[in-house]
Amino acid sequence: MKILVINAGSSSIKYQLFDMTNESVLASGLVERIGMDSSIVTHKPTGKEEVVEVKEILDHVAGVKRVIELLTSETSGVIKSMDEVDAVGHRIVHGGESFKNSVLVTDEVKQEIKRLYSLAPLHNPAHMMGIQGVEANLPNVPQVVVFDTAFHQTMPKSSYMYALPQRLYKQHQVRRYGFHGTSHKYVSDVAAQVIGKELKDLKVVTCHIGNGGSLTAVKDGKSFDTSMGMTPLEGLMMGTRSGDMDPAIVPYVMAKEDLTINEVNSMLNKHSGLLAISGLSSDMREITDTMHENENAKLAFDMYVYRVKKYIGAYAAAMNGLDAIVFTAGVGENSIVIRQAVCEGLTFFGVELDEELNKIRSKDARIISKEGSKVKVLVVPTNEELIIARDTFNIINNA
Amino acid sequence: MIKKVGVVGIGTMGQGIAEMLAKNSLDVYIVDQSKNRQEHGLHMIEVSLDKQLEKWAITSSEKKLILSRIHLIENFEQLDQCELIIESITEDLEAKKQLFAQLDKVTSKDTILASNTSSLSLTEIASATTTPERVIGMHFVHPVATVDLIEIIRGLKTSDEIVEATKQFAEVTIAKKAVMVFESPGFVTTRLICLMINEALHIVEEGVATAEDIDAAMRIGYSFKFGPLQMADHFGLDSVQAALENMFRETGELKYRPSFVLKKMVRAGQLGVKTGAGFFNYDEDGDRI
Repeated sequence: MKILVINAGSSSIKYQLFDMTNESVLASGLVERIGMDSSIVTHKPTGKEEVVEVKEILDHVAGVKRVIELLTSETSGVIKSMDEVDAVGHRIVHGGESFKNSVLVTDEVKQEIKRLYSLAPLHNPAHMMGIQGVEANLPNVPQVVVFDTAFHQTMPKSSYMYALPQRLYKQHQVRRYGFHGTSHKYVSDVAAQVIGKELKDLKVVTCHIGNGGSLTAVKDGKSFDTSMGMTPLEGLMMGTRSGDMDPAIVPYVMAKEDLTINEVNSMLNKHSGLLAISGLSSDMREITDTMHENENAKLAFDMYVYRVKKYIGAYAAAMNGLDAIVFTAGVGENSIVIRQAVCEGLTFFGVELDEELNKIRSKDARIISKEGSKVKVLVVPTNEELIIARDTFNIINNA
Repeated sequence: MIKKVGVVGIGTMGQGIAEMLAKNSLDVYIVDQSKNRQEHGLHMIEVSLDKQLEKWAITSSEKKLILSRIHLIENFEQLDQCELIIESITEDLEAKKQLFAQLDKVTSKDTILASNTSSLSLTEIASATTTPERVIGMHFVHPVATVDLIEIIRGLKTSDEIVEATKQFAEVTIAKKAVMVFESPGFVTTRLICLMINEALHIVEEGVATAEDIDAAMRIGYSFKFGPLQMADHFGLDSVQAALENMFRETGELKYRPSFVLKKMVRAGQLGVKTGAGFFNYDEDGDRI
């Protein structure tokens, strides 16, 4: 069985074709600058030469068409015809309160995703264009949608409500949704396997920290709380996002600097975080490379680590215990110093990092705490595309 | 789908229009009388983007991307690749007619020819072409980047398809509220705002209040972002005078007769932001001193 996974942005389509018999990637690629006459298509067939082409791709329908041509072409293709593809899985950022699991795409599902446009105005319409692009080209292939928010739908009300007038929740769905759900679910599952216990018997904090970042408290195998909120701006300090702050700062700064809503939004999302404090970069690698001689980079690093620690502490208290901390995503999987700095201050909880294990670079899920450490520390590389493919596979087989 | 837009005339309005279009992922092709004027226009767009960068509204990579979509071209023939051309040259009927006659010749018959005129007759501008059905008014309001309003004006012969396509472009592609207007001197915005500016000028003339206080009254009292006199400085006092005179001529109504103080300032070359002084003083970047 072969499954095509698509992550559609407003002017891009990322794709991966999986062979589910062994979960191998047959091809992956990216269509960029859709809507321009010089769109760029990068196609990477496994075991064959990479193809990069610049051509006119005016919409997502044409984009998907080109992907299909490349996947089935004689020179750069990996399958004979699209008949071999059994289903297409899509990543959808926002499922609101409507979707607690991945589902098969139907007219009702599409209607509901459209209804949620206002909660994710940049992402959901783009995903819909991806779904329509597949529909136009492969009308008979079933499609599945996998939501970033779905895993967090298990949070108790006391975790997801904001202490605001209830009318805002009822009328405008103002509440915590959380993101990176697909990843938090996957790495907590894998962590339990590595530890050799059932996830439902563990209290886990998963740290998905990359350019964006969120922490999730996983209790009884479910998301109990997560650091991102109604939007991905809440929680940790990120590459260019502020994360948590006093909400009164917003009107204060708007008045002092005469900012519009768009300007303040852009400031908080694109001009804050590591970039703002270091004055250097939003990339943690550059921060850690320069922090020994650059005071501001050091401050950015310290603030970042401090906030991750605060959340771990808060979630340990929220769950009344902690069995494992799991690091994943760009920074979590690769930054030895970040993992070390976070764990250093948590010895009080019984976190004992094994410095040597922490230094080993690997693509495998692994424990990096000392034998006998009360709280296990793990690194689990995330793979959102694979999870989307698995969910799609399961839904198609059970349909 | 409109992907490429020509902008003819890169003064204050042309700069704003070009910048706004490029921000909306459109490729913009700019023509003006001289290379100097083009380069100055592009420089002012950069200044405007830098100000937005300073205010965190955009990032430096967004600035680069926006600028990469703006192309200076040398002759009208190169406009034939555009699906829409927006004219924003000086408010002079004869000059506009000449330009539209030229555009009529070099563009394909399904290109929309739009004028950003704030008060002139679209029907008359269209009469200079052999295809008046594709001539339409797209009146933007300064500052174009932040004012999400556009007046769409149909001339006598503008076709329904062109009106619909223009409305679609305004509301979907560049996400502005489109107000549909039948041709009439000054349309809605210019007619109302110029009357208010003219009345403010009468108040100055009569010595009732200072320019500073008149503006404060409207800003604070009625939540205007700018007072009427600062607005006049932004539009250019010569443009305000031209609009009033045009409405006065067309309608014969005395209420549109430009105040003497306005005429005096225009004669003195004190035209507002673009000359550094109007009712208030401005620096090179157009900020109030």
